[in-house]
Amino acid sequence: MFSTYPGQVVVDHPVSVPIEHRFDPYVDNGGTLLSIAGDTFCVVAADTRQSEGYSINSRYVPKSVKLSDKTVISMGGCYADCLTLTKKIQQSMEWYHHAHGKTMSTAAVAQMLSIMLYQKRFFPFYSWCILGGLDEEGKGAVYTYDPVGSYERESCRCAGSASSLIQPFLDNQINFKNQETQKKNLTLEQVVRITKDSFTSATERDIYTGDYLEIFVITSKGVDVQRMDLKKD
Amino acid sequence: MDTLVSKYANSSSAASFDNEEHIGDSLTGWDAANQFAIPAFDIPMVGNPVDFLRAHTDASAENRIRIQHGTTTLAFKFQGGIVVAVDSRASGGSYIASQTVKKVIEINPYLLGTMAGGAADCQYWERELGRRCRLYELRNKERISVAAASKILSNMVYDYKGMGLSMGTMITGWDKTGPQLFYVDSDGTRMRGERFSVGSGSTFAYGVLDSGYDYNLSIPDALELGRRAIYHATHRDAYSGGSVNVFHVKQTGWEFKGNFDVGELHWEYQAQPKGPIV
Amino acid sequence: MEYNGGAVVAMVGKNCVAIACDKRLGVQAMTISTEFKKTFQVTPKTYIGLPGLATDVQTLAEKFRFKVNMYKLKEEREIEPRTLAHLVSSTLYERRFGPWFVEPVVAGLDKENRPFICSTDLIGCINFAKDFVVSGTTSNQLYGMCESLWEPDLEPEELFETISQSLMNAVDRDCLSGWGAEVTVITPDKVITRTLRSRQD
Repeated sequence: MFSTYPGQVVVDHPVSVPIEHRFDPYVDNGGTLLSIAGDTFCVVAADTRQSEGYSINSRYVPKSVKLSDKTVISMGGCYADCLTLTKKIQQSMEWYHHAHGKTMSTAAVAQMLSIMLYQKRFFPFYSWCILGGLDEEGKGAVYTYDPVGSYERESCRCAGSASSLIQPFLDNQINFKNQETQKKNLTLEQVVRITKDSFTSATERDIYTGDYLEIFVITSKGVDVQRMDLKKD
Repeated sequence: MDTLVSKYANSSSAASFDNEEHIGDSLTGWDAANQFAIPAFDIPMVGNPVDFLRAHTDASAENRIRIQHGTTTLAFKFQGGIVVAVDSRASGGSYIASQTVKKVIEINPYLLGTMAGGAADCQYWERELGRRCRLYELRNKERISVAAASKILSNMVYDYKGMGLSMGTMITGWDKTGPQLFYVDSDGTRMRGERFSVGSGSTFAYGVLDSGYDYNLSIPDALELGRRAIYHATHRDAYSGGSVNVFHVKQTGWEFKGNFDVGELHWEYQAQPKGPIV
Repeated sequence: MEYNGGAVVAMVGKNCVAIACDKRLGVQAMTISTEFKKTFQVTPKTYIGLPGLATDVQTLAEKFRFKVNMYKLKEEREIEPRTLAHLVSSTLYERRFGPWFVEPVVAGLDKENRPFICSTDLIGCINFAKDFVVSGTTSNQLYGMCESLWEPDLEPEELFETISQSLMNAVDRDCLSGWGAEVTVITPDKVITRTLRSRQD
């Protein structure tokens, strides 16, 4: 023990300081999802990469789940929260089926999801949800949510890590923003092509998007799933 | 169908808020207040849930949960009733999340609520308000007054004061006492007033509103004033924009007066001759 | 970058380049001016775009004007775009530990009329690109738009349309940019500057 000036206290063992504990239950697993409503169909698409920081957990983890013949849900954000939320929706839909003897309509699922998300207003699900499907009249419907349950019916929407890259492109190509051409209804083929183009472009610049693209096409005939390769770098 | 429902009525899927099977009931007996019970919200198991929420929704948070924000809304009373006008932009940070948000919430055919602050908070609580107003109507065989409705809302959100709710809303409608306008926010403020503007662009809207306001304005002029005030706010305020939605509240209930895209409205106003300054 | 807002993009076409900027000057949420251009002519065939903190934009624009004039007097020739890029880079790196809050973009045709574009970060790391470069608060949106609209060997008019659509749709998803835009297309024989009429919110 020595001191360099009077009054100085030298300690030869580590000082114990209070350890800070923080409850941090969220991770961002990345990924991008989009949905476009047509006149008689709805397209829900998402990439299948799941990442954590700079590493890829898996190249094939689907983000979209078919809820009924008329409804598909797609979620991005914290994968654990997304799994739980999907399970809750599926369970409630089953109970609804038993109670009312019919399948839940897309609009009913949409309202229910909003309440489920708001239920956790003070402990939110870290999830970006897009619900795609057909409404009671058979028209395409897209419902989009923020993490705490504000929702809106739209004609097209992209969410997730590359949303800011894809959304302006959709505004331009689907809603004909900043174009002289009159707004017209697009065919299913055109919509699928735009969807594929969006994702190949986003994959070039967003490290959380890539590997495979899974496209759900919802028509009156049911739900059809297509897969496409994206870059794996 | 009814038999099917009654068969499963006690399963938890059919549990409604009026179902007299709340946990509290068995202990304290029937309580009128329970009929208005709000489903309990999930709370994280941490020492301070408020800090937890703030840590994860703050702009600086690492994995940020972005809650949509940003708005200009206004409402004012005049001789022909009330004009309500709002913009339609939702932003998360500087990114524009949507240009087509419905910021006027149609509570019922006689009541309107506006949306500023957290989109989910406004949507959820004004929907809950709608449910309670309907219950009131069924019990009392008459419509609820705007004063009472706004107070229900104010009391509901006051219970959550300091928990991180964010809403600034105007509740308008026409009841027995005539046109009514209230401002209610998540701090618990509730004020009756002649004219209000709420949101990040409200100062700009007030500027136009105050200079053009007159109680004796004709209905078309009043609607135009509301529209113009919102347009000017969208022009100057970065977090407001999209389109202007205009509503008129009259004795027979509210009426939607149109949706005007600001992108086109700007050039319409530019082409118009300018009036005298004073 | 977030304080004043702003966006700049540059693209390469067939024997031509284009550079475009928005015209907003804001102080956080409030729009102060809608006539604040962020691209500056440096030589007859070279432009520089300076999105970022407005005070630094103006200061640097003058600084580069001075430096380019000195270069011209000394060398008795116009500065090449590639040389300008390195001049910009070293000027920014001088302030390594107290940087100018600007992310410049250089676009032009060199003495053989070959297209040249590049961007740098705020301390002067140059990014040479063969297709397009983006900068400012709208960079994500611009990357998405350019990546899907741009293709090789666009003629000047096609390039104008592509860069205009990219910029306008990108800034329409950004609170802090927009309020009009200016596009400049540089070809071997002329420079065309057009002002775009876009959303004002």
